[in-house]
Amino acid sequence: MLDELFERLEKQDRLALARLLTLVAREEQLDVIRSRAGKRPEKTRVVAITGNAGVGKSTLVGKLAEYLRSQGQSVAILACDPQSPLTGGALLGDRVRMPSRPDDPGIYIRSVAAASGHQAVAEHVDVMIRVLGRYGFDVVLLETVGAGQGDTAVSELADVVVLLVQPESGDELQWEKAGLLEVADVVVVHKADLAGADRTEGQVKELLSLPGCRKIAVLRVSSTKGEGFEALWQAVLESPRHAAAADEDARELLRRAQEILAERFHRQGDRVGNVIDRWKRQELDEAQAADELLQLLAR
Amino acid sequence: MATAMDRKLWAQWQKEIENAPPPVQPPTTVSSVPIDPLYTPDNLEDFDYDTELGYPGQFPYTRGVHATMHRGRLWTMRQFAGFGTARQTNERFKFLVAKGQTGLSTAFDLPTLMGIDSDDPRSLGEVGRLGVAVDTIEDMRQLFDGIDIGKLSVSMTINAPAVVVMAFYLAHAQDSGVDWRSLRGTIQNDTLKEFHAQNEIYFPPEPSVRLTVDVIEFCTRHVPKWNPVSVSGYHIREAGSTAVQELAFTLADGFHYIDQGLERGLGVDEFAGRLSFFFNAHNDLFEEIAKYRAARRVWAERLRNHYGAKQEASCKLRFHAQTAGCTLQDKQPEVNLIRVAYQALAAVLGGCQSLHTNSMDETLALPSEHAVTLALRTQQVLAHETGVTNTVDPLGGSYFVETLTRQMEQEAGRYFERIEELGGMLPAIDRGFFRREIADAAFAYQREVDAKHKLIVGVNAFQEADEKPLELLEIDQAVESGQIESLHRVKADRSQDDLDRTLADVRRAAEAEENTMPTLIDAVRARATVGEVMCALAEVYGRCDATVV
Amino acid sequence: MSKQPSLRIVLAKVGLDGHDRGVKVVARGLRDAGFHVIYPGLWQAPEAVIRTVADEDADWLGISLLSGTHMTLVPRLIEQLREAGLGHVGVLVGGIIPEADIPKLTELGVARVFGPGTPMEDIVQFLRDSGSRTHA
Repeated sequence: MLDELFERLEKQDRLALARLLTLVAREEQLDVIRSRAGKRPEKTRVVAITGNAGVGKSTLVGKLAEYLRSQGQSVAILACDPQSPLTGGALLGDRVRMPSRPDDPGIYIRSVAAASGHQAVAEHVDVMIRVLGRYGFDVVLLETVGAGQGDTAVSELADVVVLLVQPESGDELQWEKAGLLEVADVVVVHKADLAGADRTEGQVKELLSLPGCRKIAVLRVSSTKGEGFEALWQAVLESPRHAAAADEDARELLRRAQEILAERFHRQGDRVGNVIDRWKRQELDEAQAADELLQLLAR
Repeated sequence: MATAMDRKLWAQWQKEIENAPPPVQPPTTVSSVPIDPLYTPDNLEDFDYDTELGYPGQFPYTRGVHATMHRGRLWTMRQFAGFGTARQTNERFKFLVAKGQTGLSTAFDLPTLMGIDSDDPRSLGEVGRLGVAVDTIEDMRQLFDGIDIGKLSVSMTINAPAVVVMAFYLAHAQDSGVDWRSLRGTIQNDTLKEFHAQNEIYFPPEPSVRLTVDVIEFCTRHVPKWNPVSVSGYHIREAGSTAVQELAFTLADGFHYIDQGLERGLGVDEFAGRLSFFFNAHNDLFEEIAKYRAARRVWAERLRNHYGAKQEASCKLRFHAQTAGCTLQDKQPEVNLIRVAYQALAAVLGGCQSLHTNSMDETLALPSEHAVTLALRTQQVLAHETGVTNTVDPLGGSYFVETLTRQMEQEAGRYFERIEELGGMLPAIDRGFFRREIADAAFAYQREVDAKHKLIVGVNAFQEADEKPLELLEIDQAVESGQIESLHRVKADRSQDDLDRTLADVRRAAEAEENTMPTLIDAVRARATVGEVMCALAEVYGRCDATVV
Repeated sequence: MSKQPSLRIVLAKVGLDGHDRGVKVVARGLRDAGFHVIYPGLWQAPEAVIRTVADEDADWLGISLLSGTHMTLVPRLIEQLREAGLGHVGVLVGGIIPEADIPKLTELGVARVFGPGTPMEDIVQFLRDSGSRTHA
């Protein structure tokens, strides 16, 4: 089946593309698809869009996609929404704010559910990006679930990370700085048509001028008025692509090692708990407990 | 209110209640507000008659906006009607007037409501289906042909393109020699609730409100007896909100229009009195009555104390009510007659100024003449046979109703605070606040129905195995092609130069942030269509095509 | 190591009517029952619905209609699904559909029509029993 799907993918068959992404999401023949899809082509640029809920990520992604289409670039969007950890269900509503261009083959939108609350993007997005690259998209826009602790993972997946903030979010800025400005390559003050955009822009710039901060572009975009997209794309192009994204294979290896580690911990769950309990009861000291844990993992 | 209660007897009752089996369905209102088994003077310890109720026709109007209410003058029985072509609806209007209806109410079809023309590809299958198709001023002339709009009050339910339809109406009035100053009626023109609930959206929120205020401002100056906006909770409720949400969001919308009118330089007493309201009449009799009473009190207090209104009219909340379409069921549809009757009772006991009673077949099709007649008869029975009109606000002073009214008022106040915290009306819309609140309530309600915590006759209780279908009104499919043909004839017949010139003027006025009404009247006289005018405005205002989940 | 997959269902409002109370309630109900629900918003043209179903590789398409245009729009959607090579996608219709039209719709290939007042559980059970022809 995979042979046929990849053959069709080469011929730009959208249904084959869609099916392959489903297989990735379902973790069916994941490793085969990863290697068949190959490394992401150099020309495919991956841009992550992140920011708090309500800041207008979907809207901006949609408008940016339209801008890119007007520049002749083909665009794929991976729009992540959270999945319920209890039921596995998800309500994927990002398309509501994205362009509907049923006759345009140069745009592809896929809604993906991100498991467990703390992930900023869905699992195996890296493989999805490879498949989209193989299909031939110039740009992949990766919309995160929302800003949060998982965002460092995003900077490994994407060439450039764009962080959205909005006017009147002054209170959140300190927090934004703590977590997010670290991963952002471009900061967009979105909804720039609203009052207070200048002030927010000033605040962000001030924060970024503190010693030790990287040089980060700060600009204003209004999706309502369709303003600022050219400048945004220019900033994306000028931002150096993450080395991590280029060095995908090494990252892959590390990721697998982490997975194996996690799996072994999981498999030995009861015994791990037992060691922890004994340590809590002070039957083991820290060094002994750590040593026992490592022995468990080696099994 | 003095609490002269015998504590021993009270304790005895309390004990009996505790030992009684609990109700099978939780005793809550339709909005899931828990209700006590009994209300006593204890609930109203600090009750003050003069400040909380007062007398009918006096501040804060809790008991009604007129001194004698329905005893002096019945509410207007105003049945919403419209389907097919303007000619067909015109016939239905004349039929309703002949049956004794005292005001007209126009339903437009979906393309008109969305501001697009009948020949637009998106209109396919929708022309004349749920209301009357109006593309140009010619349709408006046809719609009111032979009807004296100088005498009869006319209501038009339209929002995003309300400015355009108002321009049609004013141009038609002028051309038929009717003085604008004698025109009575209402145009819904409430664009805010479209963003909360109803989704007939064309421009982004800010210019949408701007156009609403254009109509308010223009009518304040030139059409003084007209209600230029009907601030509507009806659709918010239909979308699944609770009674409190309906109350709070509607009043918050009203306050926003007042703010915007003031910003235009209108004095509050110049226009506040012309704002009218439109509420839902849902199933829960007492909750609904409390809602209407609280609405009047909250509005009056805000207008006087916050906006400094001096005139009584500015503080009086007048409202139209319609029975709740969302409560009608397609199972055992005749049962809908009974639902509608109780809902109408709530509206009347709550002091409505006009009322639409739904027809029993409305979930299935547009109402047949038989069903419309029964719906109107329901109001006539209520007015003339039940005796509810004999005294004003008969439930005033009820421990229960007064407690509910207070609760409603307090809960609405909490919503006003939350909207304020979000930065006001437009930022709250931007953040999806209203939609989320309403969708949460709708979902919670559905779960209660699924769990049979709420019973619906014929749906999750008392079902019938064999149902006999009602006779339904069929809409002739030829309407669509006929309407498109007549639209093309109008387009072929007009002067392109006049059209271009007047539409350019519309754009210029919008760009210059002038009131667009005068330019719109010129454009529709030049036979510009609804769709053409809306497109011209969109060139300046932008379009809003996304709504949030 | 594949996981228990969730069925993917596109819920589409077609035509001009903006009544989305029902579709939103169903969307949340299906989400809570473990489905992946893709909701592209109001006023979807048939072509846009087909594109969404294709790109999202959906197992099911639920069409919500309250304006009475079902006999115009549903046949068109089903025909376009087949033309797009998506004949395997199951089609549901929700909304106000007169009794007399239901057999016509099922004949066209609609798997099931759910009228107003349908308990959520009925929809969930129907989808679970039917499974997916997209991923048979």
